[in-house]
Amino acid sequence: MSKDYIVLAINPGSTSTKIAIFNGKHAVFTKTISHSAEEIAQFNKIADQYHFRAELIENLLKEEEIELKSIDVIVGRGGLLRPIPSGTYKVNEKMIEELRQAKYGEHASNLGAIIASDLGKRLGIPSYIVDPVVVDEMEPLARISGMPEIPRKSIFHALNQKAVARKAARELGKKYEEINLIVIHLGGGVSIGAHKKGRVVDVNNALNGDGPFSPERSGSLPAGQLVQMCFSGNYSEKENLKKLKGNGGLNAYLGTADGTEIEKMINSGDKKAELIYNAMAYQIAKEIGSLGAALSGQIDGIILTGGLAYSNILIERISGYIKSIGRIFVYPGENEIEALRDAAIRVLDKKEIPGEYKN
Amino acid sequence: MEKILAINPGSTSTKIALYDGEEEVWTEKISYKKDKINEFDSIIDQLDMRKSDIDALLKEKNVLPQDLDAVVGRGGPFKPLESGTYIVNDSLINDIKGGNVQAEHISNIGALLANDIAQKAGISSYFVDPVSVDEFEPVARISGIPEIERKSLVHALNVKATAYKEAKRVSKPLDELNLIVAHLGGGISICPVKSGKIVDTNNANEGGPFSPERAGSLPSSSLAKLCFSGKFSYKEIKKRIVGNGGLSAYLGTNNMQEVVKRVKSGDNKAALIFDAMVYQIAKEIGAMATVLFGKIDSILLTGGMAAEEFLVNAIKERISFLAPVVVYPGENEMESLVMGVLRVLRKEENVKEY
Repeated sequence: MSKDYIVLAINPGSTSTKIAIFNGKHAVFTKTISHSAEEIAQFNKIADQYHFRAELIENLLKEEEIELKSIDVIVGRGGLLRPIPSGTYKVNEKMIEELRQAKYGEHASNLGAIIASDLGKRLGIPSYIVDPVVVDEMEPLARISGMPEIPRKSIFHALNQKAVARKAARELGKKYEEINLIVIHLGGGVSIGAHKKGRVVDVNNALNGDGPFSPERSGSLPAGQLVQMCFSGNYSEKENLKKLKGNGGLNAYLGTADGTEIEKMINSGDKKAELIYNAMAYQIAKEIGSLGAALSGQIDGIILTGGLAYSNILIERISGYIKSIGRIFVYPGENEIEALRDAAIRVLDKKEIPGEYKN
Repeated sequence: MEKILAINPGSTSTKIALYDGEEEVWTEKISYKKDKINEFDSIIDQLDMRKSDIDALLKEKNVLPQDLDAVVGRGGPFKPLESGTYIVNDSLINDIKGGNVQAEHISNIGALLANDIAQKAGISSYFVDPVSVDEFEPVARISGIPEIERKSLVHALNVKATAYKEAKRVSKPLDELNLIVAHLGGGISICPVKSGKIVDTNNANEGGPFSPERAGSLPSSSLAKLCFSGKFSYKEIKKRIVGNGGLSAYLGTNNMQEVVKRVKSGDNKAALIFDAMVYQIAKEIGAMATVLFGKIDSILLTGGMAAEEFLVNAIKERISFLAPVVVYPGENEMESLVMGVLRVLRKEENVKEY
């Protein structure tokens, strides 16, 4: 039997910080600290939120009477780094430097490594990140867009996608590395990945506006019409980008990105809400179908996950379109915090050798 | 049999064909130098020149307007319309002359040229399945932001004609079939055709797979940033999306035969870009398969590039799991125009009013 390690897992999202203390696999406590829009708005850059969030975490640990010295390892969600293969990485100076400078872009998950590193150093324990959004296993042909100036990039909900893919593999009684899966993460953004024998060979880049529209994002738009809009003089760059990410998708059409709220609207007879929700299901289904072709139809399972996978109406609509493609698994919510825990334990148990983030 | 004259104005030519029933009697092309075309400010201004050249050709061919049963012109990007064969009427003529169309395109005058000859003989003139055929279901119109609507602009003439051919081949009425038709030309249209209706399409100028000349779908935020970068003018970016996008942008040629030649001679870059195009075409077909809930009778590959076996085989490899793939090479515009009119003259289909 391996020792039961005490693991601190930190998952910073755009409007919340989720943290958990595990004793082995067992959760001692899990808590999501919400941050109001006003609190977040005080900061210009994501990295500036570091002290604010770190303090909240330490206060919470104190409240929960967690002895800091008892913690064996800290694991944080990874952020926007250079493209790297899937896996667990040791937090190092180079990584922290790049995340502080937002070298590869601003994203709340950038804080995961920064917070883990600082606390880890003080406690003299190791800190790691796992499957950051920049996990890149894309095949060369999937990188071509249609315009050389804009290559397609692999940026997606890698942590949750990898975790649920492994879970489905277990349910199928097969190795993740032996099967083909399509994983759909239904969150504020929607990422849909083709997992071919353990590698995500294609995925829509939800961050840069690729794929279906989602609760907060526009997804792909008719290119010429978008260019016209950009050059119309009606919007600044910031306004235009906000319409694509943040205020796009469900938010733009219905004024809310909340699936529960929209289900209520539909159930009370709101035809517009129904049309828009159906359109989102339609676009998600089309993206799934496109990856079905990317895998030449060899698909062992289709996994619907993320917060919106709790929405029965959405799951029902999507399933209707795609059930001929393959067996459907629904794993609502995200398993990110558990995925972080599992990776940390794998490393401490020496079942996985952590990667070194280098040039 | 029915004598039908078909007129198809292109940017630097007018194609004319005479048909006797389904049989082609002759096809001719009146060509124009680019400089000559550039003398005109607008498309409509070319009308008289093109008219008199057609009249001269008919005289030379000894075809009298009164010998004809019908005249058909290619339709243009008119207002959104149901699929079908339409009679040219005053309302259409006014819309074309008044610029009440979705875009300025030479095909807009096809109906006017057809009408001119028909009037001399007191017969009807028609247009068939213009690019503005719109049979989208409501869900297909939603993009992802309210400011932009997904539009149906599609190679409808060839898509529909090809669907009719397939219906004939399997001896079933078109409205009992679910098809995916992929028109593979300079632009690519991929359409789920549900009981004869084009319920969705990528809109070749705006999205979908990249094609010999067009960029297809691009990540929207990346594209918006490029627009605001100050590095490109509006015109330059538009040109990179339609005209110099896709194969042209990566390989400097829009000629599929040339690309295939390079691939076969071991050019790695050409092979990568070729594979990527095949991949994107297959993905779009896969996407449209879900629109039909996976119930697909057959997938039809058509258009000029469908004559390229190397390409067709590569696409087939990725999509044949979905349904049988049938290849109908060529663009077949003249024939498709005539067939549309024949369906109406033979009362197999009702003529539509614009």
